[in-house]
Amino acid sequence: MTFRWTFAASLLGSVALISVPAGAATPPDVLVVAQSIDDAVSFDPAEGYELTPFQTFNNVYQRLIESSEADPTKIVGALAESWDVAADGKSITFKLKPGAAFVSGNPVRPEDVVYSFVRAVKLGKTPVFILQELGWKPDNIEALVTKVDDSHVKVGWAADVGSNFALAILTAPISSVVDGKEVAAHASNGDFGNAWLKTVSAGSGQFKLTRFVPHEALILEANPKSPAGAPKLKSVILKNVADAAARRLLVEQGDADIARELGADQIASLAGKPGITVKETPSAQQDYIIFNSASKSVPALSNPAFWEAARYLVDYDGLANKLLKGQYTIHQTFLPVGFPGAIDDKPFALDPAKAKAILAKAGLTDIKFKLTVSNQPPFTDIAQALQSSFALGGVAIEVEPVVNSELYGKLRSRSYDASALYWFPDYFDANTNASAFAFGTGDDGPHTVAWRAGWNTPDISAKTHSAIVEQDPAKRAVLYANIQKAVEASSPFVFMLQAKEQIVLSNKVKNYVQGITPDQIYYGQVEKK
Amino acid sequence: MTLVASSIVYRRRSWMLAAGVGLLRWLGSIAIGLAGLILVTFIFAHLSPVDPVIKVVGDKATPETYAAARLALGLDQPLLLQFGSYAGRVLTGDFGNAWSTGQPVVNDLLRAFPATFELATVAIVMGAIAGVGLGLIAGLWPGGWRDATVRVVSLLGYSVPIFWLGLLALLLFYARLHWFGGPGRQDVTYELMTTHVTGLMLIDTWLSGDSAAFRDAVSHIGLPALVLAFYSTAGIARLTRAAILEELHKEYVTTARAKGASQARIVIRHILPNIRAAIITVIALAYAVLLEGAVFTETVFAWPGIGRYLTISLFASDVPAILGGTLVIGVCFITLNTLTDFIVGGLDPRLKP
Repeated sequence: MTFRWTFAASLLGSVALISVPAGAATPPDVLVVAQSIDDAVSFDPAEGYELTPFQTFNNVYQRLIESSEADPTKIVGALAESWDVAADGKSITFKLKPGAAFVSGNPVRPEDVVYSFVRAVKLGKTPVFILQELGWKPDNIEALVTKVDDSHVKVGWAADVGSNFALAILTAPISSVVDGKEVAAHASNGDFGNAWLKTVSAGSGQFKLTRFVPHEALILEANPKSPAGAPKLKSVILKNVADAAARRLLVEQGDADIARELGADQIASLAGKPGITVKETPSAQQDYIIFNSASKSVPALSNPAFWEAARYLVDYDGLANKLLKGQYTIHQTFLPVGFPGAIDDKPFALDPAKAKAILAKAGLTDIKFKLTVSNQPPFTDIAQALQSSFALGGVAIEVEPVVNSELYGKLRSRSYDASALYWFPDYFDANTNASAFAFGTGDDGPHTVAWRAGWNTPDISAKTHSAIVEQDPAKRAVLYANIQKAVEASSPFVFMLQAKEQIVLSNKVKNYVQGITPDQIYYGQVEKK
Repeated sequence: MTLVASSIVYRRRSWMLAAGVGLLRWLGSIAIGLAGLILVTFIFAHLSPVDPVIKVVGDKATPETYAAARLALGLDQPLLLQFGSYAGRVLTGDFGNAWSTGQPVVNDLLRAFPATFELATVAIVMGAIAGVGLGLIAGLWPGGWRDATVRVVSLLGYSVPIFWLGLLALLLFYARLHWFGGPGRQDVTYELMTTHVTGLMLIDTWLSGDSAAFRDAVSHIGLPALVLAFYSTAGIARLTRAAILEELHKEYVTTARAKGASQARIVIRHILPNIRAAIITVIALAYAVLLEGAVFTETVFAWPGIGRYLTISLFASDVPAILGGTLVIGVCFITLNTLTDFIVGGLDPRLKP
């Protein structure tokens, strides 16, 4: 008896010892965001190309010009007070805002703008291909971006593109202006301060990145002297919580103010919960199928009749409204809704009989191909759904799940039959997607997505080139609408879905703004009441 | 007197000799194990169909950028040269930079390993106490309700998925009862304030002198440690029960009983010394498994340990991180095995390796 009681008492004692009442509610001036930050590698704007750094850049850096927070289709001055396009349309001169300073206290000078672009081009990291659209190379960048005087900087370009397009490129995160003096002081072995800038920030945004611990947390602290104005919060903490169910629990308990990337089931279970709001914003992510028309093993993949039939073998409604409930909408053109020039055309629906008729007319029978997809959700689910719907039209799919780097390796070397994958635009201009999907000029041209599909399309490529040179925004929009219709009608791509993001917010969080692209996340005006 | 002194000197020398041999064996095991691990992990990494260059330059890099990165990574060199260069760097402690964090692998490991070490140590202490205790109860009262309860607990420990149990524990003890802290090693309030000295949160918060921060760290480690301890308990309890039952039928126990020794005395003075080697071995094995990193527990509880680090690296095909992490786990395993052999050998000379 004594032994039993001693044992029970010890057990209870042990539990009491380790169970300390947990605290709840985050501090009033600190915003806690629960999300996965496992993707983050570098917060240097010349290098960072993953979702988490993109979500951070707008808060810690400024560009000369930026997409408006209120209306992203409009460009507004950030570090630039005004700008003038040269008569020849090959350069723009920016006047810097007087009195603007970096978080270090150093003034923002034309030299900083020049240094930022030169280092980005010379470092040649992942996102440099965006600046390369302007024809910028390590050997010409210093001649193209120059200081005019103490308040003016001239930005020119070597590529045959219009000033509207150049302005759009200058709103991309890689165009962020860094504190040249501060960064240069931390440079070693000619790395332009890249090693140092991976985990801190040296910009003029409303926050500064003070601490980044990979796979753990990211801490932003207020920069009250930012030219963009003082933020309302003292700090923002992005806490790495890899499991969606755990993120949901944190926001429910008040230990997080925002939770991102919850699954459809998690969102559904939060319906009607007091103190919590689910905010829906469209995302520019699109999911599409690509067929390799250069595939020697499946000749049918290069046949336009097969491309047409494939458009009727996708169960768009089932994917968007059942399988991926609430997380996607049907979208069938290469520009996402919300982008300048996008058209929301939905001419296709699942129609196996029609697809069969198209294939029969073209004499295509016994088609079988391998669909290589990322082994991450939701792509394995999408692949299985496609396997079922294509089977209705007599087309057999063998699903091949692989890791992402293997998938992209296969795409780059064109050693695949077909894939279902996602696409994110790189900057806020229609050309970001048009130059990928509607520009294929063979092996001598750039290795775009169209090239990966083995699609040589001189006519559409010429139209894409005309659109990039066009200076009039209204005319550009018409040109892009026509290109989208052409790609939608016949191309080795089947655009299926556009994602929408569901963000779970505590009701205490006010003024949270999020745009269509991953970089359009703004914490500056957020407050907790 | 001289005889006694020489006996002490002899014992001390023989102990030192044993310790020296043990140390040499440990170093030898480490060296052979490391060489094997370096070779095997390197071969596996290079047999994998993934393209490491894409991980570095991204999917959209131009062919020129791609070619330059391939050259910079030394992937144009013959495989043997690549291995030689890698092995040389590893021997100097340079594992390179992890592609998935952009940081030196050594820094990543120095951050991730203490998190796992701390969690595994707390869990194994709980698991060992509970496992041995429950095993004793089940063994001493076989066939009764106590035995049945312990067997059910052990069965659950073997069969319930840890991911599910972790979520359930969070839901009940964190979300409903508020007995424990939520996912993560600390609440955000303390995350900003704690100075990281050892990387072990319990010690760092203790050193900071902030009792609230220490209590917070305890409340955060409690739940994942309990979940992991539950799994260790299952194995330890089953083995302890089986060992007790076996010993109870031996003659020396009957003799002790005949001489009037109490049940407690028989267990403490006679049975436990005879089964401690087996118990220590099973505890060490359970500890080694925990030190490898409990991937699912670390994911559910947002615990930034080595299990999660390696899993993320594997999914990202991050070769330097995979190689570095595997080597660290290998060293841990070899060290723990050697240490266990040494302790067990000391306790029971018949089991000396």
